[in-house]
Amino acid sequence: MSNRLVDKMNALRSDNRSGVAPYVTAGDGGMETTLSVLHALDQAGASCIELGIPFSDPIADGPVLQAASERALASGASLNSALAMLSRFRTEGGQAPIAVMSYANPLVRNGLSETAQRVADSGGDALIVPDIPLEEGAMLEEACALCGLCPVFFAAPTSSDERIQEAGARTRGFLYVVGRVGVTGAGTTFGEETQSFLNRAQKLSQAPIAVGFGISSPESVRAAVQNADLAIVGTALVQRLHESNKPAIEADSFLRELLQGLN
Amino acid sequence: MSSSTVHSGPWFGDFGGSFAPETLMASLLELEEAWKGIGQTPEFKEELSDLLCNYAGRATPLTHARRMSEELGCELWLKREDLLHTGAHKLNNALGQALLAKKMGKTRILAETGAGQHGVATATVCALLGLECVIYMGEVDAARQKPNALRMELLGARLEVVKHGQKTLKDAINEAMRAWVSDPEAHYLLGSALGPHPFPALVAGFQQVIGEEALEQIQRQAGGLPDTVVACVGGGSNAIGIFRAFVQEDAVELIGVEAGGEGIETGNHAARFSGGEPGILHGCRTWLLQDEGGQILPTHSVSAGLDYPAVGPEHAELQALNRARYAWCTDREALEAFDTLSRLEGIIPALESSHALGWVRSHRDSLSGKRVLVNLSGRGDKDLASVFAQRDGGET
Repeated sequence: MSNRLVDKMNALRSDNRSGVAPYVTAGDGGMETTLSVLHALDQAGASCIELGIPFSDPIADGPVLQAASERALASGASLNSALAMLSRFRTEGGQAPIAVMSYANPLVRNGLSETAQRVADSGGDALIVPDIPLEEGAMLEEACALCGLCPVFFAAPTSSDERIQEAGARTRGFLYVVGRVGVTGAGTTFGEETQSFLNRAQKLSQAPIAVGFGISSPESVRAAVQNADLAIVGTALVQRLHESNKPAIEADSFLRELLQGLN
Repeated sequence: MSSSTVHSGPWFGDFGGSFAPETLMASLLELEEAWKGIGQTPEFKEELSDLLCNYAGRATPLTHARRMSEELGCELWLKREDLLHTGAHKLNNALGQALLAKKMGKTRILAETGAGQHGVATATVCALLGLECVIYMGEVDAARQKPNALRMELLGARLEVVKHGQKTLKDAINEAMRAWVSDPEAHYLLGSALGPHPFPALVAGFQQVIGEEALEQIQRQAGGLPDTVVACVGGGSNAIGIFRAFVQEDAVELIGVEAGGEGIETGNHAARFSGGEPGILHGCRTWLLQDEGGQILPTHSVSAGLDYPAVGPEHAELQALNRARYAWCTDREALEAFDTLSRLEGIIPALESSHALGWVRSHRDSLSGKRVLVNLSGRGDKDLASVFAQRDGGET
């Protein structure tokens, strides 16, 4: 089964290039806004877009993404409305691979396999679930295998070599590498320690590496992709979109700025 | 214990598991290894047993509540965890985990608290063992359980008041887990038999001393087994602590009492088995109060310790096996039981434990003539302000 995310990561690797993967919370500012932001990011050159489904209790997220989840839920966002919006993105010509990120409970609520199928039918390419680690990963792998989605697993600085190796072998699309211990938001400094961890992950994982947590500028993108295929930018983008009157324009200009870090 | 091998997790039937972020997995695996290694050595068990006996005051008594028995028409026995040092069963687990953490070389302890009893127990053992201590408590709970918030500070803990979400136990756990993700070198001293593996089995293991004592005491003092064992269920640590010893005794009925709040029909409650469905929260698969999209619903209870949308996975299994039955008791019934026990027995129960007593009072007809064992999990001094505010017609 062909998959946009796998194809994209293969293309980046064969061209010896890296990319930027922006994260947005679905429904923050309203689902119409999210749709316009997805198009803007797609056209500005996102290699992949991480679409976060809001959850009431996001234990791996810092204050900015918690607040975005709360705003989205308060405005009525749900998995259903996010997938309906994603379908429109595809119908309207959206090309970028979309990795749907959610905590486990909204995904298992109506059956994980059924939900994964709906994500695939709506034009999603991967499922990222921070509270499904390798130990519980079989359910995610089975659900994704049935409908051709990529199940994404994580590696953290606290992970043993054996775990990184296993995660690298079981993940599809990319291995999500958490740049530092902590929740999303606070800045990762790409010092020697982080680079040597990324280097360790690269050596242990056949899968492409996407690194996230605290990347917010062209400089941090540049540092991140020294030892990674993708730089994920979440908190900084979500905050800018929230503060902007014209989120789609802001998304376009911020991503173009970040992409300069690749040159 | 033969039961400890049966109940070592990670799964309790279809419930439990390890639904934690990757950053925490190394710490969880390290904890499991220490629990199964150091935690099972005779030296560790002796040291813990000495602390439980000579510091905490175990064994706690079993009291025949004669006047209340007479009023209810049954034979009521109370397992007196209210007499344990710090005033609740929470200390059993806090001592066990803190001692284990110390042996693992940990120097910093993080914990959440709802009613504040777990926070006080954790602050206490950290003072005793010389560990740094940070406690996360929802703003609503810190206000309604103020004496406990003050005790934690007095004991040298840093109290972090959580000001988002519903500002109760669920939000305190969210924040404690985030703090642990940021500081995985610390030990997270989870206070109830829930969360990711190995916590549900680990906490139940440290609490099962309650039931082991009660089983021996009731046979000696009453001359036989109870017909019914009743305990309140928030996360469910006091309940699993007493149930485990009686699970093999098929003739003994096990009743877990959840917070019925203003009544199940109002939606303002925390009765997961009566109003919820299975899902995944805070690291395990269990019964949850949630909406059709999988978002966690707000809860309500007059008791901060029961005001939580999920329940420990071992209870979910006992319910699935029909080995334990889960009922509920409203705020009003619990408050009446709080008064009744105070006046008839000279024992002021915690509002949490009052739910177990409230269920017994409401079911006196079916319990008539039976021997009933209630786990009196804590004392009610912390609840006086809430109770008097309710009487004055105010909100807690």
